[in-house]
Amino acid sequence: MEQRIRVLVAKPGLDGHDRGALVVAQALRDEGMEVVYTGLRQTPAQIAAAAIQEDVDCIGLSCLSGAHNELFPEVVRLLREQGADDILIVGGGVIPQEDIPFLKEQGIAEVFTPGTPTRVTADYIRAHVKRKRMTLQTAPSKIAHIGIAVKSLEAALPFYTQQLGLPLIGTEEVESEQVRIAFLQIGESRIELLEPASADSPIAKFIEKRGEGIHHIAFDVDHIEDRLQQLKENGIPLIHETPKPGAHGASIAFLHPKAAGGVLFELCQYPQAEGSKEESGHE
Amino acid sequence: MTTKDCTELYRKWQQELNERLAKSPERKKQFATSSDIVVDPLYTPDNIDQHYMDNIGFPGQYPYTRGVQPNMYRGRLWTMRQYAGFGSAEETNKRFRYLLEQGQTGLSVAFDLPTQIGYDSDDPMAAGEVGKVGVAIDSLEDMEVLLEGIPLDKVSTSMTINAPASVLLAMYIAVGEKQGVPAAKLSGTIQNDILKEYIARGTYIFPPKPSMRLITDIFAYCAEHVPKWNTISISGYHIREAGSTAVQEVAFTIADGIAYVEAALKAGLDIDQFAPQLSFFFNGHNHFFEEIAKFRAARRMWARLMKERYGAKNPKSWQFRVHTQTGGSTLTAQQPDNNIVRVTLQALAAVLGGTQSLHTNSRDEALALPTEESARIALRTQQIIAFESGVTDTVDPLAGSYFVEYLTDQVEAKALEYLEKIEQLGGAVAAVEAGYMQREIHKQAYETQRKIESGEEKVVGMNCFQLEHEPQPELLRVDPTLGRKQKERLDALRAKRNNQAVEQTLAQLRAAAEGTENLMPSILECVRNYATIGEICGVLRDVFGEYRAV
Repeated sequence: MEQRIRVLVAKPGLDGHDRGALVVAQALRDEGMEVVYTGLRQTPAQIAAAAIQEDVDCIGLSCLSGAHNELFPEVVRLLREQGADDILIVGGGVIPQEDIPFLKEQGIAEVFTPGTPTRVTADYIRAHVKRKRMTLQTAPSKIAHIGIAVKSLEAALPFYTQQLGLPLIGTEEVESEQVRIAFLQIGESRIELLEPASADSPIAKFIEKRGEGIHHIAFDVDHIEDRLQQLKENGIPLIHETPKPGAHGASIAFLHPKAAGGVLFELCQYPQAEGSKEESGHE
Repeated sequence: MTTKDCTELYRKWQQELNERLAKSPERKKQFATSSDIVVDPLYTPDNIDQHYMDNIGFPGQYPYTRGVQPNMYRGRLWTMRQYAGFGSAEETNKRFRYLLEQGQTGLSVAFDLPTQIGYDSDDPMAAGEVGKVGVAIDSLEDMEVLLEGIPLDKVSTSMTINAPASVLLAMYIAVGEKQGVPAAKLSGTIQNDILKEYIARGTYIFPPKPSMRLITDIFAYCAEHVPKWNTISISGYHIREAGSTAVQEVAFTIADGIAYVEAALKAGLDIDQFAPQLSFFFNGHNHFFEEIAKFRAARRMWARLMKERYGAKNPKSWQFRVHTQTGGSTLTAQQPDNNIVRVTLQALAAVLGGTQSLHTNSRDEALALPTEESARIALRTQQIIAFESGVTDTVDPLAGSYFVEYLTDQVEAKALEYLEKIEQLGGAVAAVEAGYMQREIHKQAYETQRKIESGEEKVVGMNCFQLEHEPQPELLRVDPTLGRKQKERLDALRAKRNNQAVEQTLAQLRAAAEGTENLMPSILECVRNYATIGEICGVLRDVFGEYRAV
């Protein structure tokens, strides 16, 4: 069961024009979200109550009558009052540009004016829903490795093997990332020394920008595809939306450093991990 | 030229076309109208129905395909009727006078949403909505201000009011009384079309059954007391705005019309007593030729229905008289000046279709209510068509166009299919209650959105030919303190009116609503005593209950 974003599409006030609301509702459903439509003539109090009761991640308010400046902020206020201020609120309808700064100040995250493609609205919601979805995946089992960027493997290795005495397991070139890697075992994890295989490889750029040092931390995970899908739906920025081949026959994917305050995390799934662990059940 | 020559030449043309197509394909795989009527590269005499007298005939004569008057705009132009209203009764009165000064020939009142749904301005349900999309009217007092200085015996007024149409009509009659104009001399229209509110517009109050009773009560009352009044404006406009095709617009409007006729007959009225005062309201949309065909097809269909199915004898009962408004949903928020061009083409199509009155939208209506300047340009658009283009000098100038006649036949044939389907569902009221039209319209609206997003349907300035930086035009702002001002006005009214008389007339109305008598006289009494719209509709809500959407 994958977790789907839940959206409440609502028509506050007395406006009876719901063509836009219905079209957006249908488009969001086609984008894989669960959508509840309130119907016409909802008071802000009714909308706030419905959003809490339906446990939604996002409310889309549609108003074409010009009452948006009074009605939209009232919905925000009532949700805050009831401690549900983690619900993302967006708006649309006949709303002049000049009103948008005020609405944003009042807590409407974004306003989609006439002519906005529905895909734009869906992408925005996906990227900005704030609520922590109860995770269906188990936490990563261990740190698979720590990646350290070095200019030259030859120059860096002696410190690790001779001074620290870490066993060198081997070296490998990963073409897709244009990188040469040396693996050192430490307990159940590894250190990976990363040397750029070309001047325009990601590692070369990293060293150019930030110098040698810790480049990334990799987690050992299962169900990598589901995990990536879930992270994406929860609005976590990803470098790779689908897994790609890494060293040792692993499937790997990088999350964007924006996701974790500048730290680059990698997910690794090793072939033997699949099925050897107990399936993570959930109640 | 003999038929044989013609066939020969047609074949030659087709051969040449095929050779050309082999070299360079056309702009689209298939050309089609909004209703998915396939448009061929060429229409010839073969496409014209050979039954000219049966299907096209003469203007001012059954089946009215070519128009309801014998000489159409050569005699009198259509009524230029700009829909207007915002803020207070004073502000709207000022806008009315401005439009009349600028050459408008009829009034059209836009009411705010609380008025349209039967709430007073100080009702909590009205929060944020007072004066926003139209003028706020709470009682006869506001109506007196709204119509101040407007001679009701000379100017006709159309009022876009549906669920509380009886109340606003009563207010209009009462203002006439104060001006010394008898009800028999009043002319105008109330929209009064509740079925399309359930389908597409959303300002319903009561469930269908009592709503239909209110409507037929108005038919009966006006037939006797306000004979020049158009008692209903059966509306396809909003159905089209909600996303329907031209064919669906014709079909669903006529289906609603049939439902009103049936309800009136069931209430014991004679067809020729109320049918002459039925009027219609269509959208003026983008597909130029299909729009022209739509008007012609609808006139023919209605005439046949009234004469053949309902046995109406009075020619006035056969006539499909229509007001048109250009399509609001075709306007873009991007590059709003482009909307002037859209409105021009749509208005021209309505005129070539033979409309009786016309509202042209303003360029800024995708952003806000129109400014005075935008409203003036919209009116000028009509005046330029009327006085400069020459299209008004002859009747139905596109009759006999192979293409237009073919489209007219197609629109009629496809609309009849829908009508059959609705009959099978038990008529328009049953179809609305089952959500049938709503679903059909929504499917079409979503399809249109999909086509716009994929670029298959081009909207100039929105999904092609965009501008990097959109200049923001000056917009009309409605006074945000109006809600408070209307509340103060209401408080003052309640303090100075005869509250005992108000209570008494409201009690009489309650008794009438619980019984079966015509409601109009009781409503008129309430209005004359300055009962508010919220009080009157409140009583009716108590008795009738409220509609909940499917």
